[in-house]
Amino acid sequence: MKIGIIGCGKIADQHADQLLRIPGCEIVAVCDSEELMAKQLYERFPVKYYFRETERLLDAVGPGGVVHITTPPLSHYELGLICLDAGCHVYMEKPFTVNATEAASLIRKAEEKNLKVTAGHNAQFTHASCRMRELVRGGYLGGPPFHMEAYYCYDLGDQAYAKALLGDSGHWVRKLPGKLLHNIISHGISKITEFLPGENPTVIAHGFPSQLLRSIGEKDIVDELRVIIADGNEVTAYFTFSTQMSPKLHQLRLYGPKNGLIVDDDHQTLVQLNGSTYKSFLEQFIPPWIIAKEYAGNFFFNVEKFIRRDFHSNHGMKILFESFYRSVNGEGPVPIPYKEILLTTKIMDNIFSQL
Amino acid sequence: MSANQIVTPHDLILVTGANGFIGSRVVRTLLDRGFHNLRCFVRPSGNMTRLRDLLVDRKDARIEIVHGNLLSREDCEKAADGIAVIYHLAAGIEKTFPGSFMNSVVTTRNLLEAVLKKGCLKRIVNVSSFAVYSNMNIPRGGVLDESCELESRFMERFEAYAFGKAKQDEIVQEYGRKHGIPYVIVRPGAVFGPGKIGLTGRVGIDTFGFFIHLGGSNRLPLTYVDNCAEAIVLAGIVEGVEGEVFNVVDDGMPTSREFLKMYKKRVRSFRSIFIPYSLFYGLCVLWEKYSRWSEGQLPPAFNRRRCAAEWKGNRYPNEKLKRLLGWKPKVSYDEGVRRFSDFARTQKENTT
Repeated sequence: MKIGIIGCGKIADQHADQLLRIPGCEIVAVCDSEELMAKQLYERFPVKYYFRETERLLDAVGPGGVVHITTPPLSHYELGLICLDAGCHVYMEKPFTVNATEAASLIRKAEEKNLKVTAGHNAQFTHASCRMRELVRGGYLGGPPFHMEAYYCYDLGDQAYAKALLGDSGHWVRKLPGKLLHNIISHGISKITEFLPGENPTVIAHGFPSQLLRSIGEKDIVDELRVIIADGNEVTAYFTFSTQMSPKLHQLRLYGPKNGLIVDDDHQTLVQLNGSTYKSFLEQFIPPWIIAKEYAGNFFFNVEKFIRRDFHSNHGMKILFESFYRSVNGEGPVPIPYKEILLTTKIMDNIFSQL
Repeated sequence: MSANQIVTPHDLILVTGANGFIGSRVVRTLLDRGFHNLRCFVRPSGNMTRLRDLLVDRKDARIEIVHGNLLSREDCEKAADGIAVIYHLAAGIEKTFPGSFMNSVVTTRNLLEAVLKKGCLKRIVNVSSFAVYSNMNIPRGGVLDESCELESRFMERFEAYAFGKAKQDEIVQEYGRKHGIPYVIVRPGAVFGPGKIGLTGRVGIDTFGFFIHLGGSNRLPLTYVDNCAEAIVLAGIVEGVEGEVFNVVDDGMPTSREFLKMYKKRVRSFRSIFIPYSLFYGLCVLWEKYSRWSEGQLPPAFNRRRCAAEWKGNRYPNEKLKRLLGWKPKVSYDEGVRRFSDFARTQKENTT
């Protein structure tokens, strides 16, 4: 598989790290509008060529290859179109595009060209998330999820760090419609959209700058967000994004008609919430014991994965890459259905329009 | 202008990173030396406390504060306009390789390009670091000076800062070679003084929740911040040193054990465990092997090259600095330690 990477900033390093671990992958070329950045990646990884121009990268990768777009989000759509026009499949870092119109157009183009695209929602492919998916498919919830809660928090650090991060008035994050939220929340929203049956859910959003941001004079950036999502009268979800709450959760809670599940990406645990009840005081004795056993099972699962060298911090990214490449080779569906990608961008548009 | 200086007190001097720990001392040293036409370049989000404090009683000086980002070519051109000497101290705080590279190398390239456009520069002083050296081929206790080998295996060393600084030095030297931009590179050792409260990593680490003392009886390449600033300033004004590299370390350096003891006594008391170099080096070998075998499940944060660079222990002469720049430490080690520990203790007390 011939791979090219456009955009040689921080996330590109993570892509290159994981690509090295996938047998049969070759990073043919990297490019960046700042040639020095392309060169530094080229010098540190086994890469054949580095370029400043996208066209030269596309020539090197060739039709049928895969291009990873890891540039700031404002350029995703244009670059995606160029890559598809050149006959390359596209792995787009999150957020997929700046808005749903661009997302729909890009997916349409891929379908017209008989090429594949995917979004970098790698948090959907962690060990815990994959185990959750198996249980849901196996009917553990007793039916489709009825209600969900997703937490996706972000650590701005202390004031000095927040000031340095947010103090640059020219930073590309500020040019996004949802600013800081736009660059982060797709991970959390996509976890919900995976289980939304419809295409036009109702979204009610409330956002505000945290006390920390207000204390450094920042009024334009929203870093606290609470969202209610209702897909008709069938499925509902709460989404929370926070920079201030502690602990900084990255969780998805799914509740079905029979049982529930808690996926915790920080601790890589999956806890099964059994809906059964017990008589009298047994209700206070047996479920805690069962939950303790659940956590012990997670502990042993994680240790086993670690011993087997399968517990990398970017495990989800590697799994997503491999699934995408399989679909490119005609060996399976795209890892993230296009409907989910579109719905994620649509919900994000809706949230940002309310802030 | 002194006989051996390349600039007059009226020439415009640019200091990037002027509000930083060392940068603010460079500004003060320049003012103390009578240079009264300064342009201080700071990030828009930069903490201005240090600069404001030292400019209070300098009404006679013409000091222009320029807020900007060196990643912007436009900002660099504004900063470099009409400049005779640049002291380039701005540095990124990024921990990733691309981030460190962007904030060290791309910024420096932008500044050098701006210099080419504006074209009246007499010298740029590039402030680098001891981190760029590799001492893999120097025995324990051997001399590490300006002529020593530079690190080239950055991914093995796994230290983004060293990578950024080494590449920054390279680009300065490249522009010097290709475009004739006069430069001097200054590589300070471990800089200490009021403004920083922590111990240098060359003493040890607290990565695992307790302090592991690794420096043992190594002499630390310390330089008190005012002495370091003095060396940097001299590197920009003394004639006849174009293209030279200067390591900056003070006289009478303590051992790691002595410095740790002083810190525990004067700043705060805590428990530490001493691990001899050979044992820790062995652990680093194992860590590095495991990291490779597990395809980076544990990143190679502890590795032979970093272990050697930080804790092998070398001797660090400062003869070149004294001989070519006429530098001598203004502040003795004892006085420097007193000021540093008073500051660090006060800061600790204020935060608890």
